[in-house]
Amino acid sequence: MPHLRFIGVRLASLLGLLLVLSFVLFLLQEVSGADPVAATIGANASPEAVAAARARLGLDDPAPARYLAFLTGIATGDLGTSFRTRRPVMQDITAYLPATLELVLVAFAVALLLGLAFAVSSMLRWPLSGPFRGLLFLGSTAPTFMLGIVGLIVFYKLLGWLPASGRGGVEGGPTGLSILDSLLAGDLPAAGNAWAHIALPALALAVGPALAIGRVLRSSLTDTLRSDHVRTATAKGLSELQVLRKHVLRNSLNATLSMSALQLGFMFGGVLLIEGVFTWGGLGSYLLASLPVSDFPAIAGVTFVLGGLYVVVNAVADVLQSAADPRISVS
Amino acid sequence: MADVLVPAGPPPAPTGGGPAPALSPARSPGLSPGLSPGPAPRWRLTRRQGGSGADSKARRIGDWALIGLLVLVTVIAVLAPALAPHDPVQPIAVPKLPPFTDLDHILGSDQIGRDTLSRVLVGLRTSWLLALVVTAVGLLVGTIVGLVAGMFGGWVDALLMRTTEVFLALPSMLVAVAVAAALGPGLFNTFLAVIVVWWPYYARIIRGEVRGIMARPHVEAARMAGVGRMRVMWRHVLPGVVPTAVITASLDIGNVVMVLASLSFLGMGQPAPAPELGSDTSRGLVEILDAWWIPLVPGLVVMLLSLLSNLAGDAVRNRLAHRR
Repeated sequence: MPHLRFIGVRLASLLGLLLVLSFVLFLLQEVSGADPVAATIGANASPEAVAAARARLGLDDPAPARYLAFLTGIATGDLGTSFRTRRPVMQDITAYLPATLELVLVAFAVALLLGLAFAVSSMLRWPLSGPFRGLLFLGSTAPTFMLGIVGLIVFYKLLGWLPASGRGGVEGGPTGLSILDSLLAGDLPAAGNAWAHIALPALALAVGPALAIGRVLRSSLTDTLRSDHVRTATAKGLSELQVLRKHVLRNSLNATLSMSALQLGFMFGGVLLIEGVFTWGGLGSYLLASLPVSDFPAIAGVTFVLGGLYVVVNAVADVLQSAADPRISVS
Repeated sequence: MADVLVPAGPPPAPTGGGPAPALSPARSPGLSPGLSPGPAPRWRLTRRQGGSGADSKARRIGDWALIGLLVLVTVIAVLAPALAPHDPVQPIAVPKLPPFTDLDHILGSDQIGRDTLSRVLVGLRTSWLLALVVTAVGLLVGTIVGLVAGMFGGWVDALLMRTTEVFLALPSMLVAVAVAAALGPGLFNTFLAVIVVWWPYYARIIRGEVRGIMARPHVEAARMAGVGRMRVMWRHVLPGVVPTAVITASLDIGNVVMVLASLSFLGMGQPAPAPELGSDTSRGLVEILDAWWIPLVPGLVVMLLSLLSNLAGDAVRNRLAHRR
């Protein structure tokens, strides 16, 4: 079962990466010199109270023991207590994660569509495909936050078509995804409102990844079209449709799949900026509020969760790839 | 998807273009797209894809113009303090002056009346010079690591490359934010945060190139002639790596500009009054209803800088590729 072995190896390396990520964050926490005692019981506490708190938090233990405690914390879902909100970081993250996930997923769908349009339009030379590609290229060289700002100025300030901040839709629904919640509640106007809120941030987040995905798709399509087996298939008289379906698409999707996963991962970084521009109220906004006050448990927690998602997404893509193309194996 | 790709009519007859090579040529993946034009395309889908390798005169001029423009930006960045018409941190004008309304403050003023042109010039200096330094140091570290890994092989290679793999498997932007957050705000800390996540990319590319050069006859000859390992490294391998290194760095510098601007936007650059393109943009964001040009101007400068460095990077690649 070579395929199972591949999955096993990939899973092991996934765990290894998460371990490294946790270690990096632990190191950074040590370097940052963030003092949870001063942050939780206040600067005016008596020396005895400080000593008691240090002992309770295990801050006087040797470094390896502290790392082990940090790691067990992560493994059991305990990411410490936020200095700022005074709540467990895990509780904050579960509250803010759905908003971020919703934004990233919608943006990813938009990126896939735009990427497909990019590849196909540039290969078939549709009318207007030149300006479209130029615009996409221009957008992808702009910093993500700049796309958000230009979008805001055009569609909110000048045209007044779209809202500037917040998420809209039904709040506090069962899934935390406001579009889905609105639909579940049967509230169509609210769902439309949620779509209007998500349109700009999702588009701003999608432009860069769309170009990357589109370019890979185009180049792998062109490469596959030039390959020997496609020539053979054409020579033996298959129609273009048959050749495309049976010999080209499957071979071209592989690189596109891994690029898409990579870009989906990058979105977990770009979402910080976009949430800052649109005050989206997800993990990015939470992180942005934590940065100026050096709330390191919160910063580390968000980095671990978003970084973990990035690593997992790429691992899943690898496994999918090996399923799509059995030639890929561990080597 | 298949439906979308189907051409309308029958595939047209191949339009000349010389005989297609019988075998698909070996293509170097990744690094140098466009260096090896494929065989003449036979499909309507692929027509026009090839033939981009032609080095026309217009393209040469365009490339040099872009490179010249970037040099000009560098000169402006270096001379920014002298070129700035006003003190970038002192409020001296009417607040929220729109651009192009007052000749003395041609780009307007920000929310507390500081001259936008002066702030943008000094901010450009920080952004561009820091990007150059980050790229140079990243390239230096990456080249050293790549050289050592590629030359020594064995466990040294394995150890170094596993390390780079781990770094590349983690999200660079997030890790940079976490590093910058741990070190505290400031230019040097931002620099450290980006370098930490940036060198592995160069190390891998250089290492691959070193492995390729090591297998070439001239290196083999040198080694058989008894040339020492260090001398082989400096005299016979390093010079061969330089073009790849320069191409990689020039294609990458636009990304560096963008990551630095993003960190600055998140507030990880210099503290408050210092002019910086990213942080000026994010601080001006609250004015978007009232005076939308305040966040727009510094943001546009970042965008132009990033666009120009991307295009000029491509131009450098083109020039070097055709010189080879």
